[in-house]
Amino acid sequence: MTKRYVLVHDENKCIGCQACNVACRSENNVPESVTRLQVRIEGPYGNFPHLHFKYNRVSCEQCEDAPCVKVCPTGAAYVNDDGIVSINEGKCVGCLYCVAACPYKVRFINPETKAPDKCDFCKESRLARGEDPACVSVCPTQALTFGDANDVNSEVSKLLDTKLNYQHKVNLGTKPRVYRIPSRKGGINV
Amino acid sequence: MKLNRRTFIKGLGAGTAGCAFATLPGSIAALGTTELQGSAESVASICEMCSTRCPISARVVKGKNVSILGNKKAKSFGGAVCARGGAGHSQLYDKQRIVKPLKRIGERGEGKWAEIEWDEAYSIIAKNLNKIKADYGAESVAFSSKSGSLAGHLFHLAKAYGSPNTFTHASTCPAGYVIAAKAMFGDKISRDLSNAKYIINFGHNLYEGINMSETRGMMNAQMEQGAKLVVFEPRFSIVADKADEWYAIKPGTDVAVALAICNTLIKDDLYDKAFVAQYVSGFEAFAEEVEQYTPEWAESISDVPAEDIRRITHEYAAAAPHALVDFGHRSSFTTEEFEMRRALYAANVLIGNIERKGGLYFGKKAPNYNKFAGEKAAPTLSKPGVANMPKIDAKRIDMVDEQYSLLWSEGGMYQSILDASLDAVPYQLHGWVMSRTNPMQTLTDRARIVKAMQKLDFIVACDIYISESAAYADIFLPESTYLERDEEISDKSGKNPVYYVRQRVVETIGDTKPSWLIWKEVADKLGQGEFFPWDNMETLQLFQVDKDVALLNHIKRDGWVSYGKPLMLREPSMVKDFIATYPNAKTPDSDNTYASHLSFKTPTGKIELSSDKVEGIAPGRGVIKFREVSMKKADELYFIQGKVAVHTNAGTQNVPMLANLMSDNALWIHPVTAKLLNIQSGDAIRIYNATGSEDGHALVTPGIRPDTVFAYMGCGSKNKELARATGKGVHCGNLLPDVKSPVTGMCLHTTGVKIAKI
Repeated sequence: MTKRYVLVHDENKCIGCQACNVACRSENNVPESVTRLQVRIEGPYGNFPHLHFKYNRVSCEQCEDAPCVKVCPTGAAYVNDDGIVSINEGKCVGCLYCVAACPYKVRFINPETKAPDKCDFCKESRLARGEDPACVSVCPTQALTFGDANDVNSEVSKLLDTKLNYQHKVNLGTKPRVYRIPSRKGGINV
Repeated sequence: MKLNRRTFIKGLGAGTAGCAFATLPGSIAALGTTELQGSAESVASICEMCSTRCPISARVVKGKNVSILGNKKAKSFGGAVCARGGAGHSQLYDKQRIVKPLKRIGERGEGKWAEIEWDEAYSIIAKNLNKIKADYGAESVAFSSKSGSLAGHLFHLAKAYGSPNTFTHASTCPAGYVIAAKAMFGDKISRDLSNAKYIINFGHNLYEGINMSETRGMMNAQMEQGAKLVVFEPRFSIVADKADEWYAIKPGTDVAVALAICNTLIKDDLYDKAFVAQYVSGFEAFAEEVEQYTPEWAESISDVPAEDIRRITHEYAAAAPHALVDFGHRSSFTTEEFEMRRALYAANVLIGNIERKGGLYFGKKAPNYNKFAGEKAAPTLSKPGVANMPKIDAKRIDMVDEQYSLLWSEGGMYQSILDASLDAVPYQLHGWVMSRTNPMQTLTDRARIVKAMQKLDFIVACDIYISESAAYADIFLPESTYLERDEEISDKSGKNPVYYVRQRVVETIGDTKPSWLIWKEVADKLGQGEFFPWDNMETLQLFQVDKDVALLNHIKRDGWVSYGKPLMLREPSMVKDFIATYPNAKTPDSDNTYASHLSFKTPTGKIELSSDKVEGIAPGRGVIKFREVSMKKADELYFIQGKVAVHTNAGTQNVPMLANLMSDNALWIHPVTAKLLNIQSGDAIRIYNATGSEDGHALVTPGIRPDTVFAYMGCGSKNKELARATGKGVHCGNLLPDVKSPVTGMCLHTTGVKIAKI
């Protein structure tokens, strides 16, 4: 059976420490002015003293029905056999349609390669070696879980089966593969 | 050139690439970069991006980069690294890092430097230090260093030179809880957060001031074990957000709530009487004193509702003994730190959580652990002693008052360098040798430190950047970063013995040296080389392991070697496992624990809830007592600070990757207060008081008490050498008064300020 890689971000465990952000930047040589991944600490929401922060992971959502792939005129943006939304830099003509089409605003032009760039679950480096993506490996509080949701015994399957979760902007029909376990304080705010 | 749309985009931005600042002498930018040489295979080592010193696993990637991950052998660290640890390579080959010795050629602090060779640097140091020694005595030179394995080498140099005046950053950060523990337990104590079912936390922000094993332990307790977390903190921090209950306590009044918890435990008969009877001395005097500290009284002082204090105390006692009151880390909230930290410990002692899962426990180093095991369960490390060290008759400069005597051997009172330099109290200092320490940021009253440094005859700074304090040195010695250094084996024992070691991952960049070598070579030049009889780090490591090469190689290969099973003396399940592991283990008591073996290194051999010894050094303080303190004027706002997850105090603001994440610290102001002052988020503001004045900008947020403002510490450097940090944000040390707290000798990080829109 084909793999269905998903990432689960537990907003209860996330402390917004940016260890993931730095690990991603180091692993993927992401230049200073752009970012593949960050966790935004948003808020606090609510009224003093009943406050809460939202820990919002911002990175490629790995849509099953990806707008960036649909609009790409050359096939440079494509979905790989493993389901990971990928970029073939050789085919890219720099039209920026993909950057404009991404409803999550997570595609950008890498100022060094001049090609579109974004999170690819570290597929060419860590995933190829059978390791978890960099962000998952370093997370101090184990807020991130990565794996194959088609495998019913995987950690991600168990999490998605047992914990309340949500995805961003599901109304667009993009079917994102980044799942979020909402903070018990904040609730879901899609 | 074929011009298509993508190559056109390629051209954009090229115009800004060549923009650079004037090159700093001695920096990597000035000396040129070379390809990284080092191990492509992972090397087990120890991080140094903060003082937690997490075990890491690092390797050089394609000669260009260093991959840094956690060492998976260290289970409680889980193979994780934080943002600072992951950015270690960004510091390593930062173009602004200094990799050549420097000599000041302008006025102190003017920022004019010339590159020199090591030998010239050593000669200048030897000439000046020997002259000061001849003219005024060796004690007139102070030596200060951040704590850690290599601090021992600088302090060894101080002893060889003849000065008793050695200081760590203790009195600027952790000494309060250490001194309080020494007074009550006779020793430092640890907290077992990961097994706790109920945690009461007084602003120990483990989710921003990350201490990897404790941070993970607490999150694990909360999320996997269902532990309840109650946080008392004036600011809505990340730990407050993750808490089940958060109380915006009035700054500096934690001691009142802690005492009210003790009051409730005793009055409502919730305390562990058997434990108190067996292990505690001075309970009656304590109980008598705290009788007046009711929750209602605490509410009037702290703004925490009495009914909540009472309810929380009952919940806490119900979870006993697997519950704890976190005794904190940065202990400079108030001048009454000694009473506050003792009150926090007392709330633990009363529920009898000592040496129980989820409570407090003492480190189990090999010698002690082996005694219980009845065999050599873990190897012990030898300490090199050097014979015939010079006898030092001079008194330390912080020996001005007996009440600070508990601090003299725990890092000393850093602030006393200022009194001795400026006012000759108790005698005049003439020189200062500092290593990896930045008092202008971490101590208080920056202006006073500048004056002190201007007055001294000679100053040496060893660091990796020209920090704000190093900017006032006469000689700057560039230390190799931790990724380029070997060090002695470290003892990291927790509930069982553990060793680990820092190892070089990459070849040294530029002309830097590890500080153990720097101080040895300085000693040579001073004519005191005989006191440094080792040739290199390997000699020292082999000495530690009694030439057991196999053991040394084991520690180096795994990077984290843990022996035996975790042991807490009063925890039956752990004692049972321990005995099953070691057939010759000590016979347990009738209750299947080692409870009868639990003793304390205090004069009474018991936990001293009240202490004659303390009464002796600080009359009136034998019994824990509330004293009102005033930390601000009536028309001022409380100003408090804290840590952020992406920086280590003031040490990492210039590291490119971390500066890119955060280089400024806005001042948190409550919306009600902001409205009164006509301030909106992003507005430029002035923050001022009798100590100093700082310009910054405002962050209007409900996450702070209306009578309090907050800033993350470490920003706002004032020297031009830290190009990414200088002038960005509020310099907290410039607003904090120079204070010595009773008994602990701590400086003070809470004060009053006024705010104005500019």
